[in-house]
Amino acid sequence: MSGALKRFRVMAIIAGVMSLLLWFVDLPVAYLLNNDDWKSMVAWIPFVHGWIYAVYVLTALQFATKARWSLKKTVWLILAGTLPIASFAAERRVVRQYS
Amino acid sequence: MTQKSSFLTKLGQIVAVLLVTALFVSLGLWQLQRAADLKESLKVATAVDTNVVPLESITSPRQAIPPSALNRTVSITGKYIANFKAANQKDGNGVIQDWESALLQVGDRSAILVVRGLWSERLLNPDIAQSMDIQIEGLLVASQDGDRARNLPGEISRLDSAVVVSLTDLDLFDGYVVATSEATRTESLERTRIVPEKLQSRIPGFYWQHLSYVVIWWLMAAVVVFLPFYRRRVST
Repeated sequence: MSGALKRFRVMAIIAGVMSLLLWFVDLPVAYLLNNDDWKSMVAWIPFVHGWIYAVYVLTALQFATKARWSLKKTVWLILAGTLPIASFAAERRVVRQYS
Repeated sequence: MTQKSSFLTKLGQIVAVLLVTALFVSLGLWQLQRAADLKESLKVATAVDTNVVPLESITSPRQAIPPSALNRTVSITGKYIANFKAANQKDGNGVIQDWESALLQVGDRSAILVVRGLWSERLLNPDIAQSMDIQIEGLLVASQDGDRARNLPGEISRLDSAVVVSLTDLDLFDGYVVATSEATRTESLERTRIVPEKLQSRIPGFYWQHLSYVVIWWLMAAVVVFLPFYRRRVST
């Protein structure tokens, strides 16, 4: 259980940082600014975010299974990785409950 | 819980797992198709056909350019009816400059935007009258979809017939022509010509990126199939 918790915490923080980069750097550059050089400079962000989120989902599923969470709670934990800040909040809540 | 309701619950779970798995596998297949489309479009987009064909033989006014007409070398004869500055345009060498573009009337009812050359050289051929027939050869390319400047009187924000549609009653061709040569009946018009931007696919994303998403979606499909077994193993 502690291994699964550690893995989830690490991935929640990394996924949170990647979500912040995606929402506040990549999306404004891609859709609000008209600069091809900047667009190519941030093109790695959605790609890396996609992979980080996939790993986050795996760790969230492992943790939720070991903690015997309900399906509804598990789905919320997975969705938390898609929004900036939400994965940080989920990580804090999990730490309070299980540490 | 009765035996019957337990069976129905299990059946529901199996159906749900199969549906979600099918969804993820389909998303993977969709990304695989996009990767294949991208590869195919790159082949088409980076090949310039240098055979000269009349513009009207490969595209028509008021219609989107057919993919087969993109990046073809075309010939047109017509009269310039308006000139515009197209500011902040990047050429194939990455140099950003202001270009001279003009609306060329083709026949009685149609017109197309033509990039003639640099804005700084617009006074090189003062002898061209608006009633004069000009023969042009150039590369037919897709309209630009992002503004480079603001729309002002005599200035267009991007090379796109949509920007000048309110200025004329003529039927406009989609796309624009980057002129490689211009000639009147008696002489060839010499000026610096624009090197067209490097041709690239219009499908967003990179080939390897789509393939990577295929792996992610199919990994998720595998996780959904494996998860019920993992839950059972953890609970025992």
